Amino acid sequence: MPETPDKPAQPLALDRAERPGWRTWLSSSSATALAALCFVLLIGTLFSGDGAFYKWNTHRDALRQASVYGMLACGMTFVIITAGIDLSVGSVLALVAVAFSILSIHLSWSPWLAIPACLALGATCGAASGAVIARLRIQPFIVTLAMMVFARGLAKTISGGRKVSTAMQLPDGSWTAADVPHVFRAIDSRLLGDNISVVSLIFILCVVISWIILARLRWGRYLYAIGGNEEAARLSGVPVTIMKVLAYSLAGIFSAIAGLCQAAQEQQGDPEAGIGYELTAIAIVVIGGTNLMGGRGGIGLTLLGTLTIGYLDKILSINAVPEASRLMLTGVIIIVAVLLQRRKD
Amino acid sequence: MRRAITRTILVSLALAALSVSGCKKSTPTSNAGPADASPGAKASYTIGMSQCNLGEPWRVQMNDDVRKAAEAHPEIKMIFKDAQNDTLKQRAHVEEFISAGVDLIIISPKEAQPLTEPVARAVQAGIPVIVLDRRVIGDEYTCFIGADNRLIGRKAGEWIVQTLGGKGNVVELEGLMTSTPGQDRHSGFREAIEGTDINIIFEADMKWLEPDARKEMESALSRFDHIDLVYAHNDPGAHGAYLAAQAAGRADQIKFVGIDALPQEGVVYVKQGILDATFQYPTGGAEAIDAALKILRGESVPKEITLGSRVFTEDNLDAGGEPIG
Repeated sequence: MPETPDKPAQPLALDRAERPGWRTWLSSSSATALAALCFVLLIGTLFSGDGAFYKWNTHRDALRQASVYGMLACGMTFVIITAGIDLSVGSVLALVAVAFSILSIHLSWSPWLAIPACLALGATCGAASGAVIARLRIQPFIVTLAMMVFARGLAKTISGGRKVSTAMQLPDGSWTAADVPHVFRAIDSRLLGDNISVVSLIFILCVVISWIILARLRWGRYLYAIGGNEEAARLSGVPVTIMKVLAYSLAGIFSAIAGLCQAAQEQQGDPEAGIGYELTAIAIVVIGGTNLMGGRGGIGLTLLGTLTIGYLDKILSINAVPEASRLMLTGVIIIVAVLLQRRKD
Repeated sequence: MRRAITRTILVSLALAALSVSGCKKSTPTSNAGPADASPGAKASYTIGMSQCNLGEPWRVQMNDDVRKAAEAHPEIKMIFKDAQNDTLKQRAHVEEFISAGVDLIIISPKEAQPLTEPVARAVQAGIPVIVLDRRVIGDEYTCFIGADNRLIGRKAGEWIVQTLGGKGNVVELEGLMTSTPGQDRHSGFREAIEGTDINIIFEADMKWLEPDARKEMESALSRFDHIDLVYAHNDPGAHGAYLAAQAAGRADQIKFVGIDALPQEGVVYVKQGILDATFQYPTGGAEAIDAALKILRGESVPKEITLGSRVFTEDNLDAGGEPIG
C-alpha cells in the first residue's frame, strides 16, 4: 500500500513518539527540503547585494515572483503523486492569460464571469488530458506534450498572434489605450500596508487548498494509492480513472489561476507567456522531494521547493550575476538538492 | 528494456507528427499560384515571403506591413510562410518558392550561414531575392533592407545624455545578449555615454521578456535608492521596469526609454506617459514591397537600403515622431 504523505501527516503522528521521531524527521524529505532552502538563504546572507537581502521589499518581491511558478507546481504535485507528468501547464497559463485579457479588456466582462470562465477553460484542458491518459491508457508524457502544443496554438489563434493589451485600434488606423481593468489592478496590488502581494496570497491559498485535498480528503489518499501501485489501488476499489482525470483537472485549474495572475501582472495576455515554465514547475516539485515515480511527496515540500527556487532566482538577480553564470549555478543547485534527496533513499 | 524502446519509439512518433503538422501549417495563406500568372506581359506577380518566426510581435508587424503595402497593388499576390524559428524549415520555404516558380522572394532569415546557399540558389534560378532585417553571407542576393541597431543604440544614448544633462544613475535592461540586436543596442549605447558622468549602476539580461524585466528592475530598486533612468533594449522591457517602479511608488522619479516603437505597443506607452521615449526599429515591410515592384518592373534598386529610425516622445507624438540619424 502507498506510503502516507511525507510532510503533512507524519509530524502529527510523530509528536507522540517524540525522541525517535526527531531522528526520523532529520532524514525525512521535509528536513532535506528545508536544508536546501536554508542553504540558499545562507547564500543570500553572504551575497546580500549591498544589503538589499535584508530589506523586506526584497523578500516580498521574491515571494511575488515565485508565486506563479508555485501555483503551477501545486497542480504539478497532484499529477506527479499519481506517477504522471503534465507538460502543458505553461501553455495553459498562456491560453488563460490571453482569454482573461480578451474577456476583461476587450469584451468588458465582469470578473465574476471572466474568472470562472477562465478556470473552467483550464479545467477543461486538464480534464481532456486526464481523460485520454486514464481511459485510453496513453503515457502522460505524450498526451500532455500534445496538449502543450495544442493549447499554445489555441492561444495564438484567439489572440491573432499578438499580445492582447490595452492598445486599441481606432477606425482611422491610429492606436489608443483603454484603461487597465480593475480586476488586473486588484490582483497585482498589495495588502497589509504594502507588505505582501495579492499574488503571493493567492499562491498561499492554492497551497492550503492543495493541502486539504491531499492530506485531509479521501481524494488525496486515492491519489497516493494510484501513484504507489495503480493495479493494487484499482483492486482495492479506488476509482482510478476518475481520480486521474481529477488530478489533471486540478493541474489545469492551478495553471489557469497562474494564468490569471500572469495576465494581471503583465497587464496583457501574451500568447508566448509561460514557455519553459513547466520545467521550472517540475524542478520545484522534485527539489521539494516529491518522488517522480509517484506515491510519495506532499504539498508542504512543494512550498519549500518554490521558496528555494524563488530565493535562488532573487539572490542571483540582486547580485546582478550574468545570465550565463546564473544558468550554471541553477543547474548545480538543482542537482545538489536532488542528490540530497537520493542519499536519504 | 522493451518498455524503454517502446517509449523511445512513441516519443519519436509524436515528435514526427508534430513536425509534420508544423509544416502543414505553413502552406500558402493566399490562394496564389503559378496558374494566376498570365503568360507574356506580366499582369500579375507572385511574391513569396518567408518569415523566420511569427512568435515575435515585431515580426507579426513586419508581415502586416508587407501585406498592407502589397494590398495597395492589386497586381501583387503574396504567399506568406512562417518558419516557426526553424532554420531548416525556412530553407525548405526557399526551395518550395523556387520550385513553385514565384516571381520574387522576400526572406527575413533566422540566421545567416545556413540560409546563404538557398538564397544564392534562388538568385541563380533567376528569382530576385530581397533579404529583410537579418543578413546572409556574401553578395548573392538582390537587395538587403534593414535598420542599424548600433546606430539606434547610439541615438538612444545621445538622447539619454542630453535628457539627463550628462550625469545620472542608469539601469540597463538588456535583450538577449547572445543575439546581435541585443549586442548592438548595448554597444551603441555604451559608445554614446562614454566620457560622460552617466553611471550604469545595474545591468541585467532580461531576454526581451517583460516578466524578466520586471523582476530585474525590482532587484535594482531594492538595491539602489537613486535611479534616474531605465534604458531597456525593447519596449516590453521598459514597460516591465515601469510596472516594478510603479509598484514601488518610484515611477515618477525615474525616466523610461525603450526601443522598437510598434504602433500598438511602444507608441501607445509614450501616449500613456509610461515611457519617456521610444526609438523605432522599423520593419522595412513597406520598403520591401516598393523595392520588389521596382525590381519586377526592371528598374534598378540599391544593393543595400538602410532604414531610418524615428524617436517618439510626448512632444512629437502627434507629429508622428521625429527622424533620427
